[in-house]
Amino acid sequence: MKTTNELKKHKVLIANRGEIAIRIMEACCKLGLKFVALFTAPDQHSEHCVMAQKLGGDESLYRVSSYLDANEIFAVADHAKATAIHPGYGFFAEDYRFARRVAQRERKLIFIGPSWQVIRELGDKINTKRLARKLGVPTVPGSDKPVTDDLEAENIAKSLFDFQKEQGVGNPVILVKASAGGGGMGIEEVTDLDKFRSVLRRIKNYSKRQFRDESVLIEQRIFDFNHLEVQVLADRTGMSPVHFGTRNCSVQSLGRQKRIEVAPGFDPTSTRYAFDAQKVLEDITEYSLRMAKEAGYDNIGTWEWIVSPTGQPFLMEVNTRIQVENGVSARIASIKGQKGVDLIAEQIRVGLGAALGYAQEDICLEGVGIEYRIIAEDPDNKFIPWVGRITSFDWPDFPWLTMHTQVPRDREYEIPTDFDPNLALAIVWGQTLEEARIRGKEFLHALTLCGENASGEALKSNISFLERKSDTVLVF
Amino acid sequence: MDIEKRTQELRDRLKYVQDIFGPDENSNVSMLDAKLNEFILREPSLTKQEVIRQLETLEELFRFLEKKLERELTPMNKVRIVRHPQRICLKDILENVYDNYTEIGGQDDYSIDPSMLIARAYVTRKRGKKVHNQPVMVIGQEKGHGQEFRNGGSVKPWGNAKALHYMKVAETENIPIHTYIFTPGSYPIEDYPGAAQQIAKNLYEMAGLKVPIVAVISEGGSGGAEAIGLADTRIMMSHGYYSVISPEGAAAIEGRLRGGQRADLKLIERCADQLKMTADDNKTMGYIDWKIHEPELGARPEHYDFFRKLRKAVIASTDEIVLNVSGMRMLRSFALKRHKGANVYVRWTLSTRAKERLLWVRYLKFRRMAQGAYLDKRHWFSRGSEALGEVCSSLYSYFRYDLLGRQRKKVSELAEDVHAEIQVVMGRSARYWGKVLSKLFFKKDKKEVDKEELTTLTPWNGSDQNLGQWQYISPQAKEDQSITCPNAGVHGCLDQWAPDLFGEWAGVCSFCGHHFPMEYQWYIHNIFDPGSVREIFSEIESINPLQFDGFDLKLDEAKRRTGHKCGCMTFEARIEGTTVMVAMFMAAFRGGSVGAAEGEKFIRAMERARKKQLPFLSYVHGTAGIRIQEGVNGVIQMPRCTMAVRRYSEAGGLYLVLYDTNSYAGPVASFLGCSPYQFAVRSANVGFAGPGVIKETTGLDIPPNYHNAFQALSRGHIQGIWDRREIRHNLVQSLQTMGGRNLYYR
Repeated sequence: MKTTNELKKHKVLIANRGEIAIRIMEACCKLGLKFVALFTAPDQHSEHCVMAQKLGGDESLYRVSSYLDANEIFAVADHAKATAIHPGYGFFAEDYRFARRVAQRERKLIFIGPSWQVIRELGDKINTKRLARKLGVPTVPGSDKPVTDDLEAENIAKSLFDFQKEQGVGNPVILVKASAGGGGMGIEEVTDLDKFRSVLRRIKNYSKRQFRDESVLIEQRIFDFNHLEVQVLADRTGMSPVHFGTRNCSVQSLGRQKRIEVAPGFDPTSTRYAFDAQKVLEDITEYSLRMAKEAGYDNIGTWEWIVSPTGQPFLMEVNTRIQVENGVSARIASIKGQKGVDLIAEQIRVGLGAALGYAQEDICLEGVGIEYRIIAEDPDNKFIPWVGRITSFDWPDFPWLTMHTQVPRDREYEIPTDFDPNLALAIVWGQTLEEARIRGKEFLHALTLCGENASGEALKSNISFLERKSDTVLVF
Repeated sequence: MDIEKRTQELRDRLKYVQDIFGPDENSNVSMLDAKLNEFILREPSLTKQEVIRQLETLEELFRFLEKKLERELTPMNKVRIVRHPQRICLKDILENVYDNYTEIGGQDDYSIDPSMLIARAYVTRKRGKKVHNQPVMVIGQEKGHGQEFRNGGSVKPWGNAKALHYMKVAETENIPIHTYIFTPGSYPIEDYPGAAQQIAKNLYEMAGLKVPIVAVISEGGSGGAEAIGLADTRIMMSHGYYSVISPEGAAAIEGRLRGGQRADLKLIERCADQLKMTADDNKTMGYIDWKIHEPELGARPEHYDFFRKLRKAVIASTDEIVLNVSGMRMLRSFALKRHKGANVYVRWTLSTRAKERLLWVRYLKFRRMAQGAYLDKRHWFSRGSEALGEVCSSLYSYFRYDLLGRQRKKVSELAEDVHAEIQVVMGRSARYWGKVLSKLFFKKDKKEVDKEELTTLTPWNGSDQNLGQWQYISPQAKEDQSITCPNAGVHGCLDQWAPDLFGEWAGVCSFCGHHFPMEYQWYIHNIFDPGSVREIFSEIESINPLQFDGFDLKLDEAKRRTGHKCGCMTFEARIEGTTVMVAMFMAAFRGGSVGAAEGEKFIRAMERARKKQLPFLSYVHGTAGIRIQEGVNGVIQMPRCTMAVRRYSEAGGLYLVLYDTNSYAGPVASFLGCSPYQFAVRSANVGFAGPGVIKETTGLDIPPNYHNAFQALSRGHIQGIWDRREIRHNLVQSLQTMGGRNLYYR
């Protein structure tokens, strides 16, 4: 394993934008690494460009035509003599081909993220499900391989209905998914076994057209669940992964986009649950680490779980990247008593080959963190994004508050329309859940976010929605 | 008056000779020119007697020198003769060879295609007091002495379709067909149908046409000639040519000319010479049966004696064909053999058995052609043992499939029926006892089993489902470079990394689906079951039968580079356990062009597939057409292979064709294009002639994507477009759902 001094020879190319680019830059500076940042024309007024110039000088900022053009990114990497690439989240973060190219091209670079084999294995939902079942990790009841045969599909559907009735589900529902699909495409639910055939036909046709693959997955549909996550980190040996606790991301928009994340996942000390919440949290962290060990997981990652109202956890998927909400887990954690954990810095450090240097016992979790995603959108009207110019954006600097944003406080800012609409992430910490909620509301109350669009209408934001939801976080 | 007429005649003769010898310096021609001009100059000052005397001398000189020039004719001169507007054309033949005729399928320029002329004609024969009127169907290209609307005898696809239609009529009416070939080549447009598509259809149908066919060749230009040229007897006029390509075309290919450039005359002459396209050459090589002598410097409409000769020839050959396959014939065929044009009478209708024989004779005739144009270097012993093996396997196939197979099928069908009957009787009681038994012995709850299946790991062999995991990875995938998709401008495809593109994605652009060319090995290893490919007939080798200049070197280079002896690889392989016979045309070997060796291998593989009742796949990795350097040895593969295909398909096989990359010209217009099941990989181009050739011959600028697979699909040429990554799956599907009754796995 490499020492810290050896790491300092590296130069990291940040293949991303916005607040994550800023956080990666800051982490690099903290580790004493040089970095290169990218920006595109619509992003030229983003704070991450200003930060890059401030932290790394003019030569650390390159303009590219697209964050998705791999060739251009490699050209920049070669020109700037970068030795590693940090993909952030989105874009190339979970693209195993990109990771493979980084590692296999003639001028080899380090991909700061799991190895491409791991990304490929855990990026495939069937593979992940089978790995979980192999290890006795609970998964959503249903098929664990692509089903092509109609008769077989019908059998599975029938036994899924029977199974749910046996479990006491009043109105059993199953999902038919295109096994090659993803992101909500090619999924339909079936409430009645008689309709199964026609739905199956439809999904198969769709899938054949869209993905050249006819096979489907058939699963139970679980209602009213809570969405939990386990933050996992491992070094390149992949031997001793550790976790940084759980998060609850159940407050979401209509399009299932997260709006509030809370760490830890449940708070049994202050809230009553219909099941043993502490045990669920312990179980899912144990399951996640079990899988990470088996897969040889070698960087940062998140295991996503759904917990049914009766307290049954099911593995949903594995995100083989740093997540937006990593900060909220870092906020409640301390390593060997040291507060101010920076998971991105940790990711870069182990990604470049350093040893983890601590074990699970060294990690302590304290208090409750709430992360708000502040977005210009209309929560009363299907969360439609608001587009325009931000004229003022400011907040009081509370000691318990951490803000991550690419929106400048000192000047006006046009919201770019090409990317995801996050304006800022606000992380609030409290000793107890109650304190965190109060502080959260206090912050949201004090936050000013004003602007107007081309036709003079005032900015719409989700602040009131966040405020409203603050009272019920972690209630299940 | 008389003098003027005779002078004018001499002027015309001189003009004709000058046209024929064209740009070449010929002392005889210039002498004629000088003498005639001198005479014309001096004529006013001469007395009448002197004029007549000098005219006579001059005419004598013309006769003498024309005879002399006749002996000096080069192949290129012959090409100019057949192209000359004064050359006889089909109308002249109809007037002078047949006794009565009616033009059908259009008249003059009121016709779907005036360059294809069809007529019902009569041959009247007197034997003693009896008069026999024998009808024939006359089909041929009409140049109309240079009439514009005849398009120089270049027939459009629908003209060939018309010809085919009336051939079928002749078949229904049981009358012989006489075809007259006066074409520089087919009009190379793609329409509904395309040129290649229609020629392939014609060849396929003619291979099974149950009436005698006589073809007379004057100008036989490649595909256009073949469209009506598959005949039982092929007669050629002594000044005609029959070739794979026009000398100009050959020169353009040899000289590697690009659009707009013209080949120089020397090269054209040389190509004309080397293509061995004259009647004598073709007679020697065995591609025509007879040669009819024409008058000096070619037949023109005023040569009535030639028409008499032609009439005798076509009648005699029709007689011969009919006699050869009919029952009662001994004396007449003897008489005919002794003396061509003997005065015998033969009825031209055929009995049912004679029709079958006719087809078999026709098949054998073409099967035996071009045997000297490839090489089989094996020792006579191994060749002999292979022949013996063929005989044994025919016997085996007869016993296995025709005798045993049929019986076994009967037995198994009977067993099936009996079983079904028993089930009706036993069904109810069996169900009852089954229930009782299971209650007694098996206490396991069924629900429990289901739950296990839904929540725990179930067995799955996912290895073959894993897309992107190929057995063989292209060497193109080893280079660290980005590849730009040709559609990037239209579809905005980003550049892709070669190892991804040529590895996992099998050379398919992941943005727009453009298929980059892949080497043939990719298909061999990734489509067929691993280790199941067994090559056969690999010893058959391409040679340079016409001794074409410099071609030996090129051929050796191709052999060395590919490690194959010719451009067609034939092998047996399995797909998901089903054995398939495959003929693969490799673009790497001389552009995938087809010559005698390739054709021979194809036919042998076809015959073997027929014997073993295997499905047959033609995988066209790319073909540029017929190999022009082999001349007629190449072009004759069109009818030869098509006949093999017809024989195979009628025996109940499955003939699949799959086009990858570019597939053009002869092969597509015959044995590939005649398959009822043709598919193309996306980004393949399928057609008759490339854009350059179309521009050159028709002057048309064709739209982009004129030949691409989607256009071919909408023309009905192909049946579907396949993604490269799905070929294996689609082949399995095809094997299960398509094809005739006699496949072994059915």
